[in-house]
Amino acid sequence: MTQTVRGSGPEPETSPTATTSSPAARSATYVYAVCQGCDPEVFAGLPGQAPGTPVRLLRFGALEAVVQDVPAASFGEEALRERLGDRAELERCARAHHAVIAAAAATAPTLPLPLATLYLGDGRARAALSADASRFLGALRRIAGRVEWGVKVYASGEVRRGPGTDRSTPVPGTPGGVAGPGKPRGVADPGTPGGVAGPGTPGGTAAPVAGAARDSAARPGHAYLERLRGVRQERERRQEAGLGAAEAVDRALGGLAVASRRLRSHDTAATGGRGPQVLNAAYLVAEGRRDEVAEAVRAVRERPECRGVEVELTGPWVPYSFVDSGESDARG
Amino acid sequence: MTEHTAERPLSHAPSTPSGPANLADILERVLDKGIVIAGDIKIDLLDIELLTIRLRLFVSSVETAKKAGINWWETDPALSTRAHRDAVEDENKRLRQRVAELEAGGPHEEEGPAEAGGESGRGRRRDAGWDESRSHSWHHVKEGQRR
Repeated sequence: MTQTVRGSGPEPETSPTATTSSPAARSATYVYAVCQGCDPEVFAGLPGQAPGTPVRLLRFGALEAVVQDVPAASFGEEALRERLGDRAELERCARAHHAVIAAAAATAPTLPLPLATLYLGDGRARAALSADASRFLGALRRIAGRVEWGVKVYASGEVRRGPGTDRSTPVPGTPGGVAGPGKPRGVADPGTPGGVAGPGTPGGTAAPVAGAARDSAARPGHAYLERLRGVRQERERRQEAGLGAAEAVDRALGGLAVASRRLRSHDTAATGGRGPQVLNAAYLVAEGRRDEVAEAVRAVRERPECRGVEVELTGPWVPYSFVDSGESDARG
Repeated sequence: MTEHTAERPLSHAPSTPSGPANLADILERVLDKGIVIAGDIKIDLLDIELLTIRLRLFVSSVETAKKAGINWWETDPALSTRAHRDAVEDENKRLRQRVAELEAGGPHEEEGPAEAGGESGRGRRRDAGWDESRSHSWHHVKEGQRR
């Protein structure tokens, strides 16, 4: 790949393998971010991806890249695939990457690069970066003085909007809360306050289950269909409630933001026992509006649409989600 | 407040206020976001993503999403170049699962015929209602760019 360095300023280009000072036999240049006016002091003590090697700045034109020499052996294609396929290692690398970017962003407008952007040496890195300088400048203008806030909405595991459900915890063994409207005999009324026992059934909390079991035994097909219907109704109610909440939150935060993006929802396996995530969004907001963001989230939590859902705010983040808008050319 | 910002453009503390950031939040940003430039060493983060993100962290199946009552977990192709690459694979996966469901006469059998007829690879849009908001979000981005 031969790249001509255009408009990269008067700086002389180093030779493609200008990493002779590294003690490692061969090293590669790992690029974390591109920034403008960053103070290199902030990287002191940060391990980055290669503990023992300093995280430093590589200037190109009016900009600088945050880079580090890393051992080429552990950052080859195969090695990387293997390491990043391991969850613990992936986490370590991701957090290290993020920590460097966060440190840079604390002192200057910063464009994060994705994990594992690597060059065979400083010269190659500078050539590639210089070729994209105008794109970086455009993106820097877009995010300067702005931060990203993350907002996630988790639907409640239980649905509280259904009529007459004083306590909505489903009885174990009856998934989806079989008790739909007009549920046939044999099942304790779900609206019974406290829900301890149906009338005339001294069996305590076990009664509904026993009732359901009897019912199923008598008409298994019917019970099955009822259960399916219950599950579906439950799901629809939950979806409706979740979507309403997500819209309310998006409106509230969108009003403060100069840009917003939907991110993929996390699987419930990753949400730590909370309900399903119905909104995962990022908002680009002017720095210094922190209080307004917090207030908007607080206010939206009080809204009726958001009853029973959990609204989580994270940030401020480096504007990861807004630096690479749409396609690659953010014309300056 | 704006002057405040202008005075101290360097002040934003970029992790979460309440302790260390959640791994999923970090991963989705460092793997999927950021400004992409071609490196010398080709590492397909898509592989990593498929392995770790799709399988372990993110909604990975129609069934899970249905349980959650959501269906726009899909990456919006307008928002990520990687999404384009994922799109076909995802579509295939969804269709396979949908076919399996229909064959098994699953919970959605009542909706089955109508859907199968009108589906033509777009089953996920059925109860979406989210496309509107998505384009809404996208306008935000555009506006943001113009400023």
